[in-house]
Amino acid sequence: MGWRVTLGSSTFSPFRIKRHAGGNGTLPTLTVEGGTPLKGEVRVSGAKNAVLKLMAASLLTKEPCVVRNVPRIGDVFNMIEVLEGLGARCSLDGDVLYIEARDLHPEAPLEPVREMRASVQVMGPLLGRLGEVKIAQPGGCAIGARPVDLHLAGLRALGATIEERHGFIHGRAAKLVGSEIHFDLPSVGATENIMMAAAVAEGETVIRNAAREPEIIEVQNFINCMGGRIRGAGTDTIRIVGVGGPLRGVDYTVIPDRIEAGTLAVCAAVSGGDLTLRPVIVEHMELVVAKLAEAGAAIEVRDETMRIWRKGKLKPLQIRSQPYPGFPTDMQPQILAMLTTAEGTSIVTETVYSSRFKHVDELRRMGADITVDGRVAVVRGPCELTGARVEASDLRAAAALVVAGLAAEGETVIEGLQHLDRGYEDLAGKLASVGARIVRRVPSEAIVP
Amino acid sequence: MVTTPHSDETRQFRYDRETVDVRRVLLHVFRALEEKGYDPVSQLVGYLLSGDPTYITSHAGARTLIRTVDRDLILEEIIRAYVDPQAPASAGEA
Repeated sequence: MGWRVTLGSSTFSPFRIKRHAGGNGTLPTLTVEGGTPLKGEVRVSGAKNAVLKLMAASLLTKEPCVVRNVPRIGDVFNMIEVLEGLGARCSLDGDVLYIEARDLHPEAPLEPVREMRASVQVMGPLLGRLGEVKIAQPGGCAIGARPVDLHLAGLRALGATIEERHGFIHGRAAKLVGSEIHFDLPSVGATENIMMAAAVAEGETVIRNAAREPEIIEVQNFINCMGGRIRGAGTDTIRIVGVGGPLRGVDYTVIPDRIEAGTLAVCAAVSGGDLTLRPVIVEHMELVVAKLAEAGAAIEVRDETMRIWRKGKLKPLQIRSQPYPGFPTDMQPQILAMLTTAEGTSIVTETVYSSRFKHVDELRRMGADITVDGRVAVVRGPCELTGARVEASDLRAAAALVVAGLAAEGETVIEGLQHLDRGYEDLAGKLASVGARIVRRVPSEAIVP
Repeated sequence: MVTTPHSDETRQFRYDRETVDVRRVLLHVFRALEEKGYDPVSQLVGYLLSGDPTYITSHAGARTLIRTVDRDLILEEIIRAYVDPQAPASAGEA
């Protein structure tokens, strides 16, 4: 069996890894040797959770759309497969994505949809544009039940008829009409799906108890640049005046990824390093920054550049994940991994997802002292982490294992890199560029020729 | 600039801001939004309501500039100008 070892970004391409590569030792792994403080500057990629939604929104027009600052990650390539399966033409040149959805059909391709939850975002645009959508129940990270009930309830409120049978969702709408929708929970995906459908509906839609994430403002900005009329994103009430007809093409640059920036900041803190991250919008990560500072990190922000370094030992924290602007659940695994090295007992409460402590078992294999009771994890630090062979169970769990690997003595080998590749653009390459001893090993039979 | 001096207390974040001309900032940001094809009024309303700089383009340094003024000062300025258009624009300390 041959291996390809990569250190930097030059050969990184998650798209070139076979979708079903697997079996004994045929999946890519990441080897991390801990104990090196990270020093230098890292570029933060475009926001995954914005890009995927903008790609779906581009289905609202027949005209070409250009999305800039697109990260080359597995989920983006997956979404390209979804759009192309629907009839759109896509081309990713560097970080610029061209999408032209002139001729579409309503049935989404099965395989990429089942691998990525964000694919469900095409429902709203397809119902708005074609009056029909057929899509499999979506997949994604196994972090607890994430039903699409709120998406479907919202689309029904706009006049769509939706059937769920045999694992598929089939929606039809002769026309969509604006409505008042009150979400039981501030669901990000449902808010965005309804915004996209309502943008081309007839009449006004009001979404109450809407999610407030920055990525929702991105969807609003994108659609408004296409000729839509949406206001209120970033607050809990969003008003959409449907234009009742086609939108136009757009050229749009995506905001930086706040979760990637937060992950890199945690890597700096856990390694005792000194990193400069850019670009960042610090307002999007205020709680993460505040918690890192509380733990003992020093932070400087100037414009869209953030420098983070650590001077003393890390202190324990109390963390409670919540919908934005609360502490992001997507940062909980990484910060929990960091807290295994803090001097004292930390308490981490996960309130957003029901099953998001799967990384804990792997951290325990590295020597972490963590007890989980329901949605609460008690981390007793400082733990002497030692390298081990561990397996990532989802995207952010994979990032948490990288964080632990940077702090551990000896060599940590991380399996399940397909999860990491879904949402991080060459994380290993970026960390290697600032001094991390991190090597990606790709068996040659797992690479698409 | 935001700084977090290393001490045992919870860190405080503070933007060091100089006295700024609110009207000048608003006009600059307005023009930058216009140049990028946005509806500047809608974007500024969104920013004032949500506080999220995603509403403000980074073009021409607009996002950086808007951060130098607290949102309540911008609203004060707008209300003052609306109620009494003859009143001179104030230079607020943000």
